[in-house]
Amino acid sequence: MSNLLGAPAALNFTQKILRVHWPLLIVVTALSAIGVMTLYSVAGGSFEPWAERHALRFLVAVGVLLAMALVTPRSWMAVAYPAYVLSVAALCLVPVLGAEALGAKRWIQVGGFSVQPSEFIKVSLVLALARYYQVLPTAKISKPFYVALPLVAIAVPVILTLRQPDLGTAALFAILGLTMMFLAGVSWIYFLGGAGALVAAIPLIWTNLHDYQRRRIEVFLDPEKDPLGAGYHIAQSKIAFGAGGVSGRGFMQGTQSQLDFLPEKHTDFIFTMIGEEWGFVGVVVLLVIFACLLMMLISMSISVQHQFGRLLVSGAGVTVFVYLLINVAMVTGLVPVVGVPLPLVSYGGTSMFTVMTLIGLAMSAHVHARQPMRRDEFSTML
Amino acid sequence: MALNNDDLEPKRLFKRRALLLGAAQLAGLGVLANHLHRLQVVDGRRFAPIADTNRFSMQVLAPVRGQIFDRFGRVLAKNVEGFRVTLTPGFGQDVNKSLALLSRIIVLPKDKRAKLALRARRSGPDSPIIIADGLTFEEVAEINLLTPQLPGIQTELSYGRTYPQGNVMGHIVGYIGQVSERALGDDPVLRLPGMRIGKTGIERSQDTRLRGSGGLRKFEVDARGRILRNLEERPANTGADVVLTIDADLQRRVLQRVSNERRASVVALDVRTGEVVALASVPNYNPDDIVSGITEQTWKRMASAAQKPMLNRAVAGIYPPGSTFKMVTAMAGLEAGVISARKRIRCSGQFKLAKQKFRCWKRSGHGSLNLQEALKRSCDVFFYETAHQLGIDKLAAMAKIMGLGQVYDCGIEEQNSGVVPTETWKIGRFNRGWLGGETLLAGIGQGYVLTTPLQLAVMTARIATGRTVVPTLLRRESGEDKPVFADLDVREDFLRQIRKGLDAVVNAPGGTGKNARMAAGAPRVAGKTGTSQVTRRSSQQSQSSLEWKERDHALFVAYAPADNPRYAVAAVVEHGEVGGRIAAPLVRDCLGYILEADAEFAGQMLAAKDQKINSENIEETVAVEKPVRRRGRPRKKRRLQ
Repeated sequence: MSNLLGAPAALNFTQKILRVHWPLLIVVTALSAIGVMTLYSVAGGSFEPWAERHALRFLVAVGVLLAMALVTPRSWMAVAYPAYVLSVAALCLVPVLGAEALGAKRWIQVGGFSVQPSEFIKVSLVLALARYYQVLPTAKISKPFYVALPLVAIAVPVILTLRQPDLGTAALFAILGLTMMFLAGVSWIYFLGGAGALVAAIPLIWTNLHDYQRRRIEVFLDPEKDPLGAGYHIAQSKIAFGAGGVSGRGFMQGTQSQLDFLPEKHTDFIFTMIGEEWGFVGVVVLLVIFACLLMMLISMSISVQHQFGRLLVSGAGVTVFVYLLINVAMVTGLVPVVGVPLPLVSYGGTSMFTVMTLIGLAMSAHVHARQPMRRDEFSTML
Repeated sequence: MALNNDDLEPKRLFKRRALLLGAAQLAGLGVLANHLHRLQVVDGRRFAPIADTNRFSMQVLAPVRGQIFDRFGRVLAKNVEGFRVTLTPGFGQDVNKSLALLSRIIVLPKDKRAKLALRARRSGPDSPIIIADGLTFEEVAEINLLTPQLPGIQTELSYGRTYPQGNVMGHIVGYIGQVSERALGDDPVLRLPGMRIGKTGIERSQDTRLRGSGGLRKFEVDARGRILRNLEERPANTGADVVLTIDADLQRRVLQRVSNERRASVVALDVRTGEVVALASVPNYNPDDIVSGITEQTWKRMASAAQKPMLNRAVAGIYPPGSTFKMVTAMAGLEAGVISARKRIRCSGQFKLAKQKFRCWKRSGHGSLNLQEALKRSCDVFFYETAHQLGIDKLAAMAKIMGLGQVYDCGIEEQNSGVVPTETWKIGRFNRGWLGGETLLAGIGQGYVLTTPLQLAVMTARIATGRTVVPTLLRRESGEDKPVFADLDVREDFLRQIRKGLDAVVNAPGGTGKNARMAAGAPRVAGKTGTSQVTRRSSQQSQSSLEWKERDHALFVAYAPADNPRYAVAAVVEHGEVGGRIAAPLVRDCLGYILEADAEFAGQMLAAKDQKINSENIEETVAVEKPVRRRGRPRKKRRLQ
């Protein structure tokens, strides 16, 4: 019967390679290249210590991405729940085994590497939620019980991350998870109700914040309050943007951002560098490239034939978007400093690999977009 | 398979919502772009008002570091004003040319110029680098004259650090140095060029107090680096001064006396306040040499030298306490009831545990002894027996009460906590069970027990006062309450018995510490000798036949006056062979200096000195305590007791 409708047969290697969304890959490469270029400038015109490693990491990550694209979504579905359980377990281990850095425990040592389990969660949460909605019958999507289940799956890592404490990542999990639920078709009523409850809960959240988190928010609301402390970075960053003007100071000519007073200029504050050296024109170009990436992901997601794949693609898009939004808003003083990198551009292996892994999953969904996947295939276990 | 409703419906729903999400994402990016437009295009004009060459900058102003004084206000660390010349890259200037021009005025060899040019390229356009420090006024004037030809070059006031007391206070005051990458925290002051941070001693422990807080200046500069106008200025807050408990003159005398030894250290405490009045470690170093810039080779040689001049032995040198530990064993024994003031133990020269023999230093034995005699003659067997009945954990608990095995928040962070071994400690450390024989060794301050001279001084002060004396190098600020030390959790009459024994060590005939006795008329001293074995060896070898570095450490702890204790002193002479002969006179002399410096005792000391002259010449032969001799360690596999 399926043959009558012409359901495609399994793809061979060449077919898969041909189906890879190459324009998307070009956009991703462009973003990383901007990262390499900026890191070269941050180092005062040197590939050491950042630019070269950033480029190398990207090349490795592209390899990983392509390898992931060749794997069928069916296989990803099989590992979705175990991956989620394992990464949550690893996150639980952080307070026990974790190494403390700058007042927060986020890393655990595995062999010679320090691993941030919260990065795995981003991937496994996307997988788990996509799988859940692949199997769940449409009629049940908005039933309270079936809404509560994914909420718990989101809440567990959110709470664990909040306790590390890492406000930025916790917020990302929450936004990522809820957006996926929204895309899966959960009724509007829940989202409206949730938003209302959140507004009501703000005083409660405030009292539960850590001192440094509260200070960041206070300083954000009034940067003059502490110009030498937490407000210093925002003020410096703003001056750098202003100094960039319309057309920027030119490559390697950034002066404000090259001040040693601006910390993390190769990671979280890299956008400030771009803003100063390339001006408003430069940042708009960068934002347009990001917009291309996001729109490509949206159109990819719509064209996938199964819910699992659609949600995988969305997961990548939402993550990139939230990173981008928080990072840019942070360095321009729109939101408090929370320590989120600019995806693909900022120096840092973990965020690079997380984003590329998510895009790899999306690519797998895209390559196999027309391969059927029946709802009941995995229905034995939710 | 037909696409049924169940498959189509979510697809349509997804498409609707995905498009909605896409629109929201574009809107989000639009908000960001709009915000950036305001920041860069609308407000940006405010930041780049005249031309691109004019820049706004924020500069953190360095605070002046606080000073360090001794208890009488003598300066131990101060700032010296000088001039320095800095270069701020990023004015489009030719750095090499500027440096070449500068080298006509100040000494700038070619290789140094190349290094500076490299640093200028790396440091980023707005962070000034220091070209030269310690300029004369003439040089500054000449450079200022040339300013128009030297864009980005500035002369400014700088502060160097100097330590007028040199070696005398080196280990205590410490020194400052460049801020390491790791120390860079939230304080932007630390990122300033030339900013230095406390590396050791008081400079390190009190760094945040001494450092002060930075000021902030917002200004506009032109392309030549000239400041066009100050927009806002908030001055820096000078760091607070720190006053120490040390009397620099007394410290100097003590250190001179300790310097007679190759490697030794002394700690002296005021037992009523816990104030450290002298803390000497030999060999030592002059912090002025370090801050005034030593070559890397010199630094490496100093840091790795065998005699370790950088090590503050008084707080970080760890030694087996030897027989000085017997006061702890005795106290634990009394508290646990395994000995009493009257109980006599027979010393036959050895103590047998299973098949193992543990020898007393006096191989012929001491005969029957009570506690006081055992302390006085430092009998090992008496304390083997006591420790054996006590067990290691009760012994360790008493050692902790007496202040061993811990570090103190006293103003020097480079302390070593030493070791107070317990059964669990050994399992954690060596993954082996505790052996009964090891308890015996611990009972005479050998084996795993390790202490610092500071801890030994605290132990002595606690025995002397019965209070939990806590040492400090920081003078109380006026208005701050005198510290009230809680009573130790032990019985006062037991303490009295120990003190009687310690008094006998120095003052009774046949006491091992008679060399610590001061001249007649001077305050009475009570103390305890210690000789701690450094290496295992056969019992036949004599000390003098050994290599210097294999000889025993000599220790002595004491307090005075014996009837109303004011000061406690601990001394360790590395490889000094015998506590009674080497360390006891050292402690006696140091105590003498301390009492002479104390108005309350100065007169008494002066009177005694006159009398002393005659008795000095009669050198007494001293009953010398010899170290424990034993054949090897207890066999590891065998679990004794």
